[in-house]
Amino acid sequence: MNLTAVVWATTGSLFAIGLAVVTFRRQLLAMLLGLELMLAAVNVALVHHAGLFDDAEALAVVALVIAVAAAEAVVGLALILRVRRSGRGADASVLTELRG
Amino acid sequence: MTPPEVMLAVKVLFGAPVAAILFGFFVMRRVKPEWTHLPILASCAAVTAAAACLAAYTTAKHCLELPVWTWAVAGDWGVAFGLRIDGPSSAILAMVAFVGSLIHVYAAAYMKGDKGFARFFLVFHLFFLAMIGLLTANDYLQLYLFWELVGVSSYLLIGFWYHKESARKAALKAFMTNRIGDLGFLIAVLMMIYAYRSTRLQTVYEFMAAKPSIYTSIIALGLVWAAFAKSAQWPLYYWLPDAMEGPTPTSALMHAATMVTAGVFLLIRSWPIISAVDGLPQLIAWTGALTSLGAAIIAGTKKDIKRILAYSTVSHLGLMMLAVGLGELGTAAYHLIVHGFFKAALFLCAGNIAHAFHQSTANVDETGGLRREMPFTYGCFLAAALSLAGAPLFAGFFSKDAILDAAWHHGGGLRVIGMLIAFGSAFYIFRMLFLVFHGDRKEQSRGGRHPHEAGPEFVLPIFALSFGAVVLGHGSIREWVSNLMTYGMRGVPMVLIRLKPYFDLPGEPALPALNWTVSAFGTVLALLGAGAAYYLTMVDSGWDWRWRGGFAEAVFESDFGYKIIVGWGARAVSWTARFTGRVLDKNWWDGLLESSSDVLREAGNALASSAQGRVNDYLWWMLAGSAVLLGRVLR
Repeated sequence: MNLTAVVWATTGSLFAIGLAVVTFRRQLLAMLLGLELMLAAVNVALVHHAGLFDDAEALAVVALVIAVAAAEAVVGLALILRVRRSGRGADASVLTELRG
Repeated sequence: MTPPEVMLAVKVLFGAPVAAILFGFFVMRRVKPEWTHLPILASCAAVTAAAACLAAYTTAKHCLELPVWTWAVAGDWGVAFGLRIDGPSSAILAMVAFVGSLIHVYAAAYMKGDKGFARFFLVFHLFFLAMIGLLTANDYLQLYLFWELVGVSSYLLIGFWYHKESARKAALKAFMTNRIGDLGFLIAVLMMIYAYRSTRLQTVYEFMAAKPSIYTSIIALGLVWAAFAKSAQWPLYYWLPDAMEGPTPTSALMHAATMVTAGVFLLIRSWPIISAVDGLPQLIAWTGALTSLGAAIIAGTKKDIKRILAYSTVSHLGLMMLAVGLGELGTAAYHLIVHGFFKAALFLCAGNIAHAFHQSTANVDETGGLRREMPFTYGCFLAAALSLAGAPLFAGFFSKDAILDAAWHHGGGLRVIGMLIAFGSAFYIFRMLFLVFHGDRKEQSRGGRHPHEAGPEFVLPIFALSFGAVVLGHGSIREWVSNLMTYGMRGVPMVLIRLKPYFDLPGEPALPALNWTVSAFGTVLALLGAGAAYYLTMVDSGWDWRWRGGFAEAVFESDFGYKIIVGWGARAVSWTARFTGRVLDKNWWDGLLESSSDVLREAGNALASSAQGRVNDYLWWMLAGSAVLLGRVLR
């Protein structure tokens, strides 16, 4: 079996699971995890394609994505913590300040 | 090289009034308002001295053009503010400064004790300063600025007693009418900028000499229109008789020195432009002649003494316009100067009478026989009236006969109209003299008041003005004015080619000679006018009250019906304003805007109800958007 097909299947399903978690779950922490999952899927796909096309730039992008993911996790966790401390739980369904 | 005393005079000419007004406004008005006139009178003296110095300088055949400051510079374009001291400006400036200063002295006595004494004097002096700036302007745009400043000051002074509704209305009428005229000036200035890329007098003159363009007629018409409004000529004369609502010194200043003379001065200044347009000088001459005749007739029917004098001013301005239209700029300027003296004297005499009656003006119904109580005022009035009527050897005789002479040479209808004006002028001024100072008619009643002669601080300025009105006909003065006008214009290249009588003389201009035929005719007609006035006021003394009440009064009170037409025009304008304001703007336009904003608000409300503020909803929207974008990229 072709390695590329395996990578596509794995990363595609990882991305889809992450997307589903982000869009269907209401718990903020779970949504953050979903995001991380999507980023990881993209990273794996990038690493594979970097080897495939002999492209070092893709590896540089992977390093950047890891850095961004770390920063995102920090900010996201801090925000979730603030929301929790405000006494409304950590659930997206209560954050409806944007209601028209 | 300009002599240092001339430079000093130029600085004093503007520095003294500005300093006096600022000092009066910031210090005197707060500290000691009843002394506000002191720095202003000092400034008047300084300005008069400076004007005399400049007149001496131009009499010695010099001209001075002094750049001061360039405004609104854009590339090679800019408005070069500066001073132009030449013949026309210095001759008229000398009269304005002298007459204006005497009126200031009178005003100090007349306005004493008024609540707004400080305000009056500050605005009064601003009026004076504006006229000085107008006369010495170097640039049409600069002239326009001072022209407007004159208009604003006159508005403030006419409406000085703002608690009276009639004064407020008269001020507004004067201001609005002048705005209508100023539109012409504005168009002319804009056209100059467009056509010549300059508004400097000298540059415009040189352009005119080189190639009169099609814009010339627009510029000239605009300037003439503006001058007709400022100098109270038909069709825009009607503001002047109502401008009597201000304090009497205001009327004197406005009629003699500062306001109405500006229009004549503008035409003298713009003569190179105006004379380049075919038919325009004739139009000016005819308008002036007809206005003059009409105003002279109406002046003979009025009862309010200041109103008689106001129509007399319109009539004399018409004479000046007639002279300008016939190319006799020197004659026009000479009559302007002489008129300044006798009209100021007459107005200040009217001020004495009003003061004696403790009113703002007086009526022929309540005067009569005043020469017993006010002999000095009577004497001054008589001298000025003789000058106005053109009694031989009085100043008015020479100035008016020079204009009649010009009309005579032009021939045709103007010859007849000129003579009729001579008759009419003598009639209205002697009718006023007899009705106010002579006789003991049963129709006149003083209503228990006891008028008294005014004090020396009132009569001395009047005496000086009447003296001028008598002696200014001396040959040396006439020669001085005509020389100034000639040399003043000599810096203007094409004027020498185009101008008729005064300016095409190659050498020294001769003293304008008296035409004995015209003088004899004029004197006889003036005598007839005075005789008619004597008969209708002294012999048949009830005449003035008998003809009133009927159709004749309606005709004269409405200025031969013209006031009715003006009234229709004003009503049409205010109706249009109300229609655009209330119907077009408020109902239609505002209604359209409000209904469209209602639509937007409703749509917003409808959309807002679909947004529940759930984060996951937004995620779905985002996802859908990304899918659409991705679809477009991959396609």
